[in-house]
Parts: sequence; C-alpha cells; structure tokens
Amino acid sequence: MIKLMSIEKSYKTGSQQLKVLKGLDCHVREGEMVAIMGSSGSGKSTLLNILGLLDGFDNGEYVLSGESMAGLSERSAAKYRSRFLGFVFQSFNLIGFKTAMENVALPLYYQGVSRKERNVRAMEFLEKVGLTDWSEHLPNQLSGGQKQRVAIARALVGKPRVILADEPTGALDSTTSREVMSLLRELNGEGITMVVVTHENDIAELCDRIINLHDGQIVIDTVNV
Amino acid sequence: MFNRDTWLEIANTVLSHPMRTALTGISIALGVFILVVMQGLGFGLQNGVKEQFADDAVNSIWVQSGRTQLSYRGNQANRRIQMRESDVEAMFNEMDTVHAYSRRIRIWGMQMESGDKAGNFPIRGVDPDHQMLENTKLSHGRYISQRDVDEATKVAVIGATLVEEIYDGENPVGTHLTIGGVLFRVVGSFDDPANRWENKMAYLPFSTAKKLFRAGNDKLDQIIIGTGDMPIAETTQLTDHLLTWFKERKSVHPDDQRGIWLENNNEEYERFQNIFIGIELFIWGIGLLTLLAGAVGVANILAIAVKERTKEIGVRKALGATSSSIVGLVVQESLTLMIVSGSLGLVLGVGLLEFVSPMIDHEYFKNPQVDFRIALLALGILALVGVLSGIGPALRAVSIRPVEALRDE
Repeated sequence: MIKLMSIEKSYKTGSQQLKVLKGLDCHVREGEMVAIMGSSGSGKSTLLNILGLLDGFDNGEYVLSGESMAGLSERSAAKYRSRFLGFVFQSFNLIGFKTAMENVALPLYYQGVSRKERNVRAMEFLEKVGLTDWSEHLPNQLSGGQKQRVAIARALVGKPRVILADEPTGALDSTTSREVMSLLRELNGEGITMVVVTHENDIAELCDRIINLHDGQIVIDTVNV
Repeated sequence: MFNRDTWLEIANTVLSHPMRTALTGISIALGVFILVVMQGLGFGLQNGVKEQFADDAVNSIWVQSGRTQLSYRGNQANRRIQMRESDVEAMFNEMDTVHAYSRRIRIWGMQMESGDKAGNFPIRGVDPDHQMLENTKLSHGRYISQRDVDEATKVAVIGATLVEEIYDGENPVGTHLTIGGVLFRVVGSFDDPANRWENKMAYLPFSTAKKLFRAGNDKLDQIIIGTGDMPIAETTQLTDHLLTWFKERKSVHPDDQRGIWLENNNEEYERFQNIFIGIELFIWGIGLLTLLAGAVGVANILAIAVKERTKEIGVRKALGATSSSIVGLVVQESLTLMIVSGSLGLVLGVGLLEFVSPMIDHEYFKNPQVDFRIALLALGILALVGVLSGIGPALRAVSIRPVEALRDE
C-alpha cells in the first residue's frame, strides 16, 4: 500500500541545510497496522508529513496504492489526500465552532459531496464510533475520548485506504487510550491500513509492526507477535 | 466559488465568531460612515461658499467708458467716449475666441404696471450670455434667448424685488407687464442673493430695449466678455491688448485712466478658485486619512483573525482542502464582511446627511451631499485593502506544514 524508497528530505534553517530524512526505505502492506516510534528530532513528523502528502520530498520515490506521489501539484496532492488518506491528531483538531456532525462532514465538503448526502454519511460514521446522540454537540461539550472518536469518524468518512494517526492517544488517559486503540484496531480489521506515530511503548505494542526511527533512518523494524 | 455550499460555509464561519465579525464590521462601517459624513459636510461648505461668491467666480472682462483726462490727437480733455455696437464687432476680430459676451444698456426709472400694482424700476437690455456673466439664478421660467434678441420680442425676465412688489411674490411667468407704456410678456423671474441691486431690474432683450427705449441708436453702456477657464496670465494679456486697442480706436491717450477702462476680475477669480481648491483638498485629505485609518484597522483585525485560524486552516488542508480553496475562502469571507458592513456604513452616512440637510440653513453651508461614486470608491478601496490584508496572512497560514501547525498545543 505504501512504498518509500530512498526518501531524502532536508529543510533550510537560515543558511544551513538540515537533512532530516536520509534515504529512508519502508514498505507498509495493505491492511497492516504499523507503529512509528522515535525520539523527537528523529524525523517522525517529517515522515508523517510526507506520507500525508502535506509536504514534498527532495529525492526518492513514494508509491501510494500503486501510484507515484513524486512531484505532485498542490491540487492533486489535495485530491489524493481526500481520496486515500484520513488523519487523526493528538490534540483532535476538531473545528471548535462546528458541531460533531459538521466536523465529520467537512472532508466530504472538500470532495464536493452534496450537503444532504454529507450529513447522512456523517451520521453513519458517528454511529459507527457510538456518538449518534452527540452529533449536535460542539467539541468543547465532549470529553477527550469522545473528541478523538469524532476525529476518527471524520478521518473515516471519506472512505480512506490509509489512516495516519499522529500520537492519537497522547492526550488521553490510559483507559480511553485503550478504547481508542481498539477502535483503530477494529477499523484495521475492516481492511484500512493504519500508520500510528507514538512514543508510548504499550501503544506501539498494540500494532502489528514497530518501525523505529533514529536520525532520519529506520534503525529497527520489528514485527509484533 | 459562488455556489450555495461555499456561502453556507462562509455564513457558518462568520456567524460562529460574533466578536471577530462585529469588530471587523464596525471598523469598516465606521470608516465608511465617517468618510461619507465628512465628505458631505465638506461639500456643504463648498456649496455654500460657492454660492456666496458666485458672482466673483465667473471669469470676465468688463469694458466701460467715461470722460478723457488728457488731450490727445487734437482732442480736448474731458471728452465723452461712447461705446458703440460697431466696437463690439471690431473687438471680436482682436480676439482668438469669444467664450461669451453681452452688450448692456440700462435705463433708469421705467414705469411698470401689472393689474392694479405699479412701480418705478430700472431695465437692462442684455444678450443671452448675460445670465452666465452676471450669474443670474432663475426662480421661474426662462432667460432671454438668442431668438428674443434676433426678433426683438417683447419679453421680460424680472428680479425678485419686482416680483415681490408687483406680484406679491407670486410666480409672474406668463403674465403681462407694461413697461414704459409697452406691453411685455414675463417669461422668467430671478433671484440673485449675492447682488441685491440686480434684483430691482427687469431684463429685456438687447434689441427690444434699444429699439423701444433708446430710439434705435447704437450706444452701449458696457460690454462684458466671458473668458471661460482661460488662465490668469492669458486673461491679463488679453485685457492689456484690448485696452490698448480700444484707446487707439477711440483716440484716447495711452496714459489716460478714465476715457476707457477695462476691469477684469481674474485676481478675485483666482483667489476664489484657490479657496475652492483648498476646500476640496481639505475634503479629500480628511477622506483619505479616514480611509487610511479604517484600512489599517481592518488589515489589523484580519491579520489577527487569520493567525488565530492557523490551526483550523491546517485541519482543512489535512482534510483535503487545496491551499487556493482556503485562501479563496478567507478572501471571500472578508470581502463579504466588508461589502455588507461597508454598505451599512454608507447607508447610515447618507441617511444622516439626508436627515440633517433640511435642518441646516446657513449662508456658508448648503446641500451637504456626498458624491455617491466617491462613497462607492471608498468602499471599493476598503474592500481591496481587506482582500490584500487577508491574502498575506492566509498565504502564510497555508504554507505552514499542517502536522506542525496542528501538533503544538
């Protein structure tokens, strides 16, 4: 599903070139659930940006679902994002002035789905995460776990092939963390490929495979039994 | 860009941030409001001053004659110089263009009667341009026309004092007035508040007055030449040239001050033009400064608003929005806000002026209206500033990589 070959990426910081990814190779198969670990500065978020088509790369090849993602235009990157990818963030990042349902429906707005259809599908996914009764609530009226479930529903609504989760449990207590992880696991069971960035070992343990990043390269790639 | 969904999205965003919306809206509405009101007051001042000094604001040369001081070419001093119609024709040959002119004769104390009212008033025989040169404001009817002069019709245009004393202030147009025993039809009336002397006059076609009351002789009292917007230097040059020419033609000594004299009011004209320009600059200065203050305020609020939305923009991007659609959304949003609140300010400002205008009655203050085009232009400029000040921060916001924008709590 995801194939990265010798990905290189550097940033300009003042006059210096800071090389963040130094020829990274990685292959995530369809239906896999992979954890990406690493200390800060290891290149985790850069990798996630590149995987999420939110940032380009300098050298190498990125193949997503059989299509090359090298040198994408801004417009087609946005198109692939809305068609293939779903995002889940540590701080949920729900839009504060929109209700749970409106938040879930937002990706469909960018896919050009009609308003009526958007709301029907948003409700469908809210039901899937067990929040039907909370559809008219604003994010600040929801608990942390509920917010993350709304965010997951929002990531799912566009029927993505891959979900990229950036520290999805970072702001949650351990019980809620487990609930969220089992929800992700369940969705993975339905065939969606999961990439979870985390620094917590017990969260990483819940995935099929752990990729350890250090200094812009993969140092350990272990399969959980 | 203009589908229903986009508008709903904008309405949703705008209405969910009442504070931000109100602040931006108020600063735009206030900017346009103040601009409109200040412009209105400025124009009121300008209109008032213009009317007060209207007579001096027409650029003209007056040719008059008297008695000579000096003997010259075998003529004794104290000789009466008489202007004649033939002088007018000859004078035109000395000029490149004649913007306007009027011959003038005056006869004192004509007996005038209409119905059972009567009185003694002076008359003037004039050409049609006299209206412009004397700056006569008609209250009713029309002025003397070229046809009246050509055909020597018996029509009269009468001043406000006459209207008051013979017609009790009623509209005299269409009535008949006996002047020196001859029946005239009154075709118009005028009121010249800046020159109350003229209000006692009845203006008749030059030819009619000459034929009936001057026994057909070709003597003139004055010749008035309008010089339009001719610059002061040229007017002075023309005046000097005509004076020399007239003195030569009438055999008046070049140093004689009384035989022939030409008055031009171009110094006054220029002074009043400068006053008008000063007032106009004042109006524009205030307008532009108000606009600038408004624009700075709007730019400020929008920049902050967009910064506040960095996170939201990151989310939208991650959810499949293109950068251009986000910039478009921000710009369309601020534009909508500008137009709605700007129009509100416009309507309130114009409304206030309309409401206040009839209550103000002062010599130097009349008709405080605003040029609607100027108001719309101001609105346009504010909108442009709004768009430009929204674009910058929006572009910066979309250029931030979403994962980073979204990560830090």
